[in-house]
Amino acid sequence: MSTRIQGLLVIVAILAAWEAAAWASLVNPAFLPPPSSILLAWKEIVASGELIQHVTTTMRVWVQGFALATLLGVSLGLLMGLFRPLAAALATTVELLRPMPSVAIIPIAIVTFGLEDPMKRFVTMYAATWPILINTLYGVRSVDPVLIDSARTFRFSEPRRALKVILPAASPYIATGLRLGAGIALILVVTAELVASRDGLGYFVAQSQLSYRIPDMYAGIFSIAVVGYLLNLAFVSAENRALGWHRRLASRQ
Amino acid sequence: MGSTRQTVELGPPEGAASLGASEPRPTPGPATRPAAHRLLPTGLAGPLFVVLLLAVWETLSQLKLVNVLLFPPVSTILARFLTLWTDNTFPSNLLPTLTRMLLGYALAAGLAIPLGTLMGFWHGVYDRLEPLLEFLRPLPPVAVLPALVLFLGIGDEMKVAIVLFGCFWPILLNTVDGVRGVHPTIVEVALMYQFTTARILRSVVLPAALPQIMAGLRTGLAIALIVAIVSEMIGATQGLGFFIVLAQRGFRIADMYAGIVLLAIVGYLLNRGFLLIEAHLMAWHRAQMSPGGEG
Repeated sequence: MSTRIQGLLVIVAILAAWEAAAWASLVNPAFLPPPSSILLAWKEIVASGELIQHVTTTMRVWVQGFALATLLGVSLGLLMGLFRPLAAALATTVELLRPMPSVAIIPIAIVTFGLEDPMKRFVTMYAATWPILINTLYGVRSVDPVLIDSARTFRFSEPRRALKVILPAASPYIATGLRLGAGIALILVVTAELVASRDGLGYFVAQSQLSYRIPDMYAGIFSIAVVGYLLNLAFVSAENRALGWHRRLASRQ
Repeated sequence: MGSTRQTVELGPPEGAASLGASEPRPTPGPATRPAAHRLLPTGLAGPLFVVLLLAVWETLSQLKLVNVLLFPPVSTILARFLTLWTDNTFPSNLLPTLTRMLLGYALAAGLAIPLGTLMGFWHGVYDRLEPLLEFLRPLPPVAVLPALVLFLGIGDEMKVAIVLFGCFWPILLNTVDGVRGVHPTIVEVALMYQFTTARILRSVVLPAALPQIMAGLRTGLAIALIVAIVSEMIGATQGLGFFIVLAQRGFRIADMYAGIVLLAIVGYLLNRGFLLIEAHLMAWHRAQMSPGGEG
């Protein structure tokens, strides 16, 4: 039996123990209902369309915020990596803003944009930009100077050098930044929905808790976990597929 | 922040852990980065640019070219900051936030480092827990908040618990990764000298895995502050996150900005403090690892 299957059996065992503990009232089933009733609640909110609606909202904001962050982070990182004066000018700003917990931006976004999508989009973009920017900058800085010199020898224009040589060479770092940014973007969407919003998965979880629909709340948390898991999976496999060439090149050296 | 090290490494090491330790370690980029590499240039241009930004903000606000209610002048925010600090509002809100955060962080480290070491050393355990961890790891910690509130209320226990939950994962996964990356030869040599398992773990494996553990601790620290603030935003009676949200709801915008400035300072100082400690530990690490070679 492969370890993978054994690993899945571990999950099954934990669920079974949880189920048994709930039935034996070892834990308060009002607070921690058995997995079976969470599954039932989950099926119900799937069937009623409620879950799909919240997932759609969450994912819409996630996609928009993450796309903006990618645009901003990659272009700013590339420019800062290529033009030292720009990096010098922005250095302190980046160093001061980056360690600030990104959730602190939520109240600013609320007073500026209100409680709807623009607020959530802004918050998501803000938080996800940092890892993308930093990793892009790092990637650009670590490009082998020989590559750049060769491109220069072949008289590549500066924009062409940036797009055809530097960007691909930096892509493994950018990919790492994107994967980290994707996870952070999800954290911020859910937090914004939890703290101040009227729709989305985070809102659904908070609302279920407040109205004491506890199985629904756990079904919501489970759905967020699934979304996070699938996003991560998508990024890891896209990374492996897209960067296979890089890995082959690197291992040949 | 002299952020070369931490800016660079905050990202990639966590990424390395999340690729799943069962895969062959990828060769390119992030894993093999040069250690000392100035990512951001230092100089006067950076601070000057910040001053310029603030001056523009001040001017726009004073001339009422932006909505003054939403963007009060920098001077007003600064004045409020000083008032709130001297009338003890800020210190009395900062203390509970830091206490809960550091307690949760310390508990997470105390649990995750030993557990991660054991899981990394006995591969079998980790391999069997991997599917579970893979599923739980991408879950945003804040999503668990409503469930924790059920069990623990909105008091200190809940806030410490959510911080613990949030920073447990990066510390654990990085420790596992670091321990698994320890060169088998070192362990075999230690076995040859008939070290006990406990001694091997303590004086051979843990020191060798230190860089990766530190990376996990650094990511964990950032998450600890974020989660502590969010936990105060959803329900509290004191704390910096509570103060900021209260100011926002009461439309005391200058106070809100002053609170955010304080939070930024706290984040910055925590980061700096961590880097100092890390530099010390890593100097020790290099001294330990270099003489006699690595195997």
